[in-house]
Amino acid sequence: MVERALLLCLLLIGFWGVVAKKNIIKKIFGLNILNAAAVMLFILEGNRIGSEAPILESGLAQVVDPIPQALMLTAIVIGVCVTALALALAVHLYQITGSFDIETIRERIQDET
Amino acid sequence: MGKRKAWSPTLQACLAIGAMGVVLLPVFLSQTPWPTVARDYLMQYGQDESGARNLVSAIYLGYRAFDTLGETIVLLVAVIGTMGLLSRVESLVNTVGDDDNTIQTVSAFSLRGDKRSSHVLRTHLLEVVTGKIGPIVLLFGFYVMLYGHLSPGGGFQGGVIIASGIVFLALGNQQDNTSALSKSSILGGIESVSFLLFIIVAMSGIFFGKGFFGNPLADSAYPVGFIVLLNSIIGLKVGASIGFMCIAMMGGHD
Amino acid sequence: MTTILLILIVLLAVYTLSSKDLLHGVIALSAISLLSAILFYILQAPDVAITEAAVGAGVSTVIFVWAIRHSQRKDDNHG
Repeated sequence: MVERALLLCLLLIGFWGVVAKKNIIKKIFGLNILNAAAVMLFILEGNRIGSEAPILESGLAQVVDPIPQALMLTAIVIGVCVTALALALAVHLYQITGSFDIETIRERIQDET
Repeated sequence: MGKRKAWSPTLQACLAIGAMGVVLLPVFLSQTPWPTVARDYLMQYGQDESGARNLVSAIYLGYRAFDTLGETIVLLVAVIGTMGLLSRVESLVNTVGDDDNTIQTVSAFSLRGDKRSSHVLRTHLLEVVTGKIGPIVLLFGFYVMLYGHLSPGGGFQGGVIIASGIVFLALGNQQDNTSALSKSSILGGIESVSFLLFIIVAMSGIFFGKGFFGNPLADSAYPVGFIVLLNSIIGLKVGASIGFMCIAMMGGHD
Repeated sequence: MTTILLILIVLLAVYTLSSKDLLHGVIALSAISLLSAILFYILQAPDVAITEAAVGAGVSTVIFVWAIRHSQRKDDNHG
């Protein structure tokens, strides 16, 4: 119960980073934190029904649920792909406008067009 | 139509976060028990049907192999997009004047010898240590990749470790002695060939009567060979594409 | 044990988003990845732990450091 409350806090912190921060890199930090919180939630829930890692050996107690773990592998790799593309876009914006601040970027792009 | 004074950004952010918290609260307060049907079925039949003792490998390479196909496509798209944007960033960097401080530190670290303006950041210590550690990390990556069906590991994990090994090899290039694995043409070739092999192996199940992504070796003595083959192909693809992306970011592509 | 790790991760997340130097934020993000890899190992998920450690501490940190080095390091307006 306490762990779920902490995970809700982590999700809201990530969401705050995406919404309220003015620096693009801080927004990308927020995306990463959101991803990490979602992965942690699934693994935590899958852990409730067992006590051993999902690798079969002889004489084993109940293993944890292996399906959330398989899905989270995909989620982690996709998270890093999104981060790479977002950072490439952020650096490109910096080279064009000279700043990471979204207000400055908006003004400078409006001046150019 | 009168003008409305916009709310302050802090208030807007608080309202957004509060709304998100209210929406997510039922997820975190639910008391329904996690279903155990899938775990029981997999504990009983997972090893017989796919041959792998690692149940997670049996899932993402056997029962849900479509997710793996989608993930390799997402990786491919991300690398293509980053490369396309990187080529524009490179051209913008080269047109900025020499009095920009950041450009000097960037070129001081560049992997290509001709672009390096000074040797301040690429010391001899860095090159010697990473050049010697690189093959060991590659070996560890291959081990993790090939033992994915018996112990924790598999294609993705081994692939990312192989990518780190490739980055080490690229950092450890001495002046005139470059490792073949850090050339962009070879890495691009490995990635394309392994993606093609992945599709061919996936379609081989059709010719043996088991359906798309079916295991053509399911009736033979070693059905686990299919999982080992798929692990190797995925590991090479992921390693080559992420290594390619990291080397291109450090300015090493030619 | 999981509670202690989660509290540390929450504190590091707050520090990541409110540090004035972007490089400090990147190092804190890498520390979050490390702590969550330990958490996954404790929660009996070794495959996810290996992936998170290799991806978070390796590839993700490298591309963040590249992005910051090609541009500025300080966060100008926010604290």
